[in-house]
Amino acid sequence: MFPIQIEKIYLDEKAEKDSVSKTILKALPNIPVETVEDKRTLIKQFSSMSDPIGTGKRYLLITHFYGKRLKPCPGTSNHICCGYYVINAVTNCPMDCSYCVLQGYLNNPFLTVYTNWDDLLEEINYFLSRDKSSLLRLGTGELSDSLALEPIFPISQFLIDFFSKRQRAILELKTKSPNIDSLLDLDHQGKTVISWSLNPPKMIGEEEKRTAPLTTRIEAARRCQEKGYPLGFHFDPILYHEGWEKEYRETILQLFKQIDSRRVVWISLGGFRYPPHLKAIAEERFPRTEVFLGELFPGRDGKFRYLKEVRVDIYRKMARWLKEVNPGLFIYLCMESKEVWEKVFGWAPESSRHLNRLFEERVRGFVG
Amino acid sequence: MIIAEFGLRNAEWEMKTENGIVVDMDIQKIPLEQIDLLDETFSVNYFPDLQKLRSSIQETGLIQPVLLRKKPGGYQIICGFRRISVTKALGRLEVESRVFEGKEMDEFRLFSLSLHENLTTRGFNAVEKAVALDKLIHRFQIHRAVVINTFLPFFSLEPNEKILSTFLSLAQMEDEIKTYVLKEEVSRGNIRRLSALSPDDRMALLSLISPLKLGENRLRELLTLLEETSRRSHSTVKEIAAQAEFQAVLSQKELTPSQKTERIKKVLTDLRYPKLSQLEKAFEKKRKDLDLPFNISLHHPPFFEGKGLKIEFQFETIEEYQIILSALSVLPEKEAFKQMIQKD
Repeated sequence: MFPIQIEKIYLDEKAEKDSVSKTILKALPNIPVETVEDKRTLIKQFSSMSDPIGTGKRYLLITHFYGKRLKPCPGTSNHICCGYYVINAVTNCPMDCSYCVLQGYLNNPFLTVYTNWDDLLEEINYFLSRDKSSLLRLGTGELSDSLALEPIFPISQFLIDFFSKRQRAILELKTKSPNIDSLLDLDHQGKTVISWSLNPPKMIGEEEKRTAPLTTRIEAARRCQEKGYPLGFHFDPILYHEGWEKEYRETILQLFKQIDSRRVVWISLGGFRYPPHLKAIAEERFPRTEVFLGELFPGRDGKFRYLKEVRVDIYRKMARWLKEVNPGLFIYLCMESKEVWEKVFGWAPESSRHLNRLFEERVRGFVG
Repeated sequence: MIIAEFGLRNAEWEMKTENGIVVDMDIQKIPLEQIDLLDETFSVNYFPDLQKLRSSIQETGLIQPVLLRKKPGGYQIICGFRRISVTKALGRLEVESRVFEGKEMDEFRLFSLSLHENLTTRGFNAVEKAVALDKLIHRFQIHRAVVINTFLPFFSLEPNEKILSTFLSLAQMEDEIKTYVLKEEVSRGNIRRLSALSPDDRMALLSLISPLKLGENRLRELLTLLEETSRRSHSTVKEIAAQAEFQAVLSQKELTPSQKTERIKKVLTDLRYPKLSQLEKAFEKKRKDLDLPFNISLHHPPFFEGKGLKIEFQFETIEEYQIILSALSVLPEKEAFKQMIQKD
C-alpha cells in the first residue's frame, strides 16, 4: 500500500452509519476521530489557517455529497475537448504536485470522501439511461487521484463492478499511484481503463511530491495489463525544460519495455497549462518549483500555455516517438486548438463531438 | 506584560502595569553628556522625520519628559531617542527625564513600555515595526506565537507567520534597501520578493531601480522578471543587472524615469522570454520589409496564439485613403507578406 499520511479523521455525523465509513475507520485504526455536526463551520475555520491546502491533505473528512457528482469534464473554451464525464467521489488528493490545479480550485481543503454511494450509483444510472446511442466515458480522476485512497476508500472496486455490467459506458481510473492490488482479481469485463499519468523520473522527483516513482507506476500498469485491463497513459502535463527530449523519450522507451502497446487504448498529450491564479498559490507552497519558469502566455481561454511554437514541437516529437513504438497507438491532445492539432498531426477533429466519436470507435474496436 | 496608560498629572508620571502597580516618578534634569546615546537596546527608530519635533521643542520646550534607566556610569534611554537627539542638536545641555533605578523592571518590560509610548505618540514606520519584531524575537527571546498573536495586532498587522517572517526579513536587509522600502512605500509582497535575494543581488537591484519611477505593480513585475530570469539562466541578479543594455538605458539623460522604466522592463522581458522575443523580432523585421505607410499598422495575434494578422489603418482625406488601398493591394506580391501568412 502506498503511504497515506492521515493525522486526523473528521466524521460527519450524517455519514456515521454508512458501512463505507466503518470500512475507512477500520482501515485507519490508530487515527484520532472527531465527529462533526456542522462541516461548513469546520471547513471555514480550517480555511483560515496558513497553508490549508497542504494541511488539508493530512485531514480526512468523511461526509455525504449533496448535489450533482457527475458532470461533463469542464474542458476549456475555444479548444477541442474529448467529451469526457467526471465522477466526483473524492475531493482533494493526498499527493502534492506543484502544478496541481486543485490548489486554486477547491474551497474545501480537506481530503474528503463521500460515503453516500447509493446516491452516486443512482445518478450514474440515470445519466446512462438518458443516452442510449453513444458510448460514454466517465472517470474519477478529476478532483482527486482515482486510486490514491483506494486502500482505505474502495470506491474504484465498487465502480469497476458497476461498469462491468454496462454496455455503453467505460470507466477510466486515472492515477499516479500503485494501489491496484485490490483491483486485480475483479471481473472488469474490459469496461474499466486504468490509466497512469506519466512524467520522467526527474520531473516526478521535483514536481510530483508523494506520488509513486515512474518504475512503480509502470510495474503497476504491467500487472493490470496481465489481468486484462485496457490501459491508458497521460503525458500530461508535459513539462518543457532543458533536456526534456531525452527525458521524455527515455520515459516512453521505459514504458514500452514492460507494456504491450497493443493493449493501450489511448494516450493523451498535454503541455503544462494553468489558470492565472494558480501561479501565486503554487509558488507560495513550492518556492523551488520550476514549472512556471517556462515561456507561458495567456491563451484565448485565459489559461497560460507554452508558446504555440513550443507546444507544436513537443507534441510532434512525442507523437513521433510513440508512433515509432506502435503506429497504431491512439494519441490525442488535451485542451488544444484545432490549429495545433493540424500542425501536429496534419489533421484535426472538426469539433469536440467529432473527437468524442473517434474515441467511441477506438473503444469499440478495442473492447468489443 | 505591561498594559500601559500614560498621562501627565501634576508633573507626575503614572504608569499602570497589569498587576496594578503604580509607579510615580519625579521629573529630573539629566545632563545629556551622562546619557549613553549609542545604547540602542530599546530603540526601534529608523529614518525618523525630526523636523516637526524640532520645531515643537524649539517653540514650546519638551512637553513630555524622556524615560531613562540608570546604568553604571550614566543613563540608558528607554523612551525619547528622538527627543534627546533634537535636544542635543539644539545645543541644550540637559533634558527633563523620569528615571528608573537599576533593575526595578526587566528589559522586556521596558521595551514593551517603550513600544507603547511610541505607539501613542507617533506610530511606527514599516522598518521600525521590523526592528521591533526582530528585537522581540532575537534579543528578548519572546516566543514566535506570542509575537504573532500579541505584537502583530499591536502594530496593526494581521496575526500570522507569513507577516512576521516578512518583517523579520526586512529587519535583516541593508540600510539602503530599508530606506528605499520606506521612501517608495514598498508593499509586503515586494518586501518578500526582496528578501529572497542575496545582499549583493539586492544592492545590484537597487542601483537598477533607484533611478526609475516604479509603482507597486511595476516593481512587482521587475522583481518577478529578474528573479525568474536569474533562475532560468542560472545567473545572479547582480550579473543580470550588470548587462550593458541596462546601463545604456540608465545613462540616457534625455529619458524620463517612466521612459527608463518601460525600456528596462522591455530588456528584462526579452531576457525572460527569449523565444517570444525572437518571434517578435522576426515579425518586426518582416513588417519593416513591407514598407507600409505610417498610417497602416500590422499586428500578429497576442503571443502568436491563433491564426491570422490584423491590419489597422487611419486616414483623414480621400488621397490618404487611396494611398492606403494601393499599399494594401500590393502586399500579396511581397515575399515578407507571404511568409507572414503562410502555414507551416
